[in-house]
Amino acid sequence: MIFDINTSTGHWPFRRVPNEKISELERLLKGKGIGGAAVVNTHGLFYKNCHDANLELSGAISDRPFFAGVATLNPLYPAWERDLQDCAGKLGMKGLRIVPQYHNYQLSSPCAREILAAAVSLSLPVFIPVRVVDVRQRHWLDTGSVLGIKEIGELSLSVPGSRIIVTECPVYSYQVLSKNNEFLYPGLYFEISRMGSAYGQEIARLAGQIGAERLLFGSGSPFKEVTPALLKLKSAGCTDQDKEKISHGNSRVLLGL
Amino acid sequence: MEYRKYNPVDFHNHVSGRKGKLDRQDAISRLKAAEILGIEKICISRPLTGDSPVPDEFCACNDIIMDAMKLSERFIGFCFVNPGYARESIKEMERCIVRHKMAGVKLYHQYFICDPALYPVMEYAAELGIPVLMHAGKLSDSSIQPRLSNAQHFLKAVKMFPKTTIVQGHIGGGGDWEWNLRVLEAIKPEARFYIDTSGSVIDAGIVKRTAETLGADRVLFATDGSMEEGLGKVLDAGLSGRQLKKIFSGNFNSILSARRCK
Repeated sequence: MIFDINTSTGHWPFRRVPNEKISELERLLKGKGIGGAAVVNTHGLFYKNCHDANLELSGAISDRPFFAGVATLNPLYPAWERDLQDCAGKLGMKGLRIVPQYHNYQLSSPCAREILAAAVSLSLPVFIPVRVVDVRQRHWLDTGSVLGIKEIGELSLSVPGSRIIVTECPVYSYQVLSKNNEFLYPGLYFEISRMGSAYGQEIARLAGQIGAERLLFGSGSPFKEVTPALLKLKSAGCTDQDKEKISHGNSRVLLGL
Repeated sequence: MEYRKYNPVDFHNHVSGRKGKLDRQDAISRLKAAEILGIEKICISRPLTGDSPVPDEFCACNDIIMDAMKLSERFIGFCFVNPGYARESIKEMERCIVRHKMAGVKLYHQYFICDPALYPVMEYAAELGIPVLMHAGKLSDSSIQPRLSNAQHFLKAVKMFPKTTIVQGHIGGGGDWEWNLRVLEAIKPEARFYIDTSGSVIDAGIVKRTAETLGADRVLFATDGSMEEGLGKVLDAGLSGRQLKKIFSGNFNSILSARRCK
């Protein structure tokens, strides 16, 4: 069983992305042997009133148990608190994504702490992508901002009990360990699609140093091809038990599935 | 896995060096990764990214490549030169390619691929019958690498150097690959031109579109160190066995067969 923690549906305006419709995405992932996925709505990056994207997503996956919905909200927009309650309640979302690069605020700002604390109170993990696409090839209207582990980690430390799933992030030990080899950010979990595996064995190294419980399989589909992430999982020099955790166990615990 | 039967050759990769010596640990890590992933051979170079590396510097890089070639036959060396030092570059090509059996030349962003300064190097490469692999891309912010060759430069280069086999590096190296492919629609059938698939960018459809635009005959499998990315995006491109065979090793073998210095 493989659960993909990092998928999206909805239209991306800056290039044609195949399989961005929910039915196409499900078919694609199932065809690759993936048994379930957390999914966000790409429209949530662009709608001013991004809760409409959550309503769209909820409707799109209502008859698709393959997917666990992840809401997108902007803490600078009115009524986000009520929207978050709706997402966790009647819409049945399993997580919240925040995207300061697209919604124009800093992770160090009070609004970021406020929305993270609100998610904690609802037992929702928060997804933070360090980027959505590679900014080196970005469209001239797209953001060029990429987040760093340190700022995400500092946000997590500022809100006790927070659980943040960092996606689209290459992670190296030196970024997350103290000089005494202690894990600096106990609130962080990392999706693996941009980590080194066969070459460098970074996934195995991180599993040994911060615990396999911190690593989650994700592909970045449909923006990215799926097989590279599958190869990373397969090539990771971890125990079978750790691979089980990374491939689906950790995601299911975090999302409460 | 099925693709292993095509004996994949990674056309674009590197090794690291420390204080002028091969970083053996890194080299062994790359070899292990190739073993795990079923990559038969790895073409390696060690380019310098500075404005104008001097001959002693680029020769030292090639010494590191020779050390790697001694470490494992899985490594195939490419010789890095700075064409601004034409005489020294030719001498270094003779040392690396003729005497030490490296397979090609690697150029970095010291010059555009269509700069007239490249004539001596490109003509000698044609005489030897070996390929020239050029670092390339189309970055949103061109100030980062102001002499980075993009597809327009390659279209000029194939006319300037019609007898030289030219390889545009890493279509997935982080840049507007769609822009590059639209420009390359104008490539002429007679051009001795290839493109490699390497780089960390694994946008859905990138290799499929590359093969559709240029034909599988011009596409070379490569990773540039992004090994699962490099392999996975080729496997996800929906290509036929015949196309995969060409991309994984057939085109490389064709290029190699043109070598004139034995």
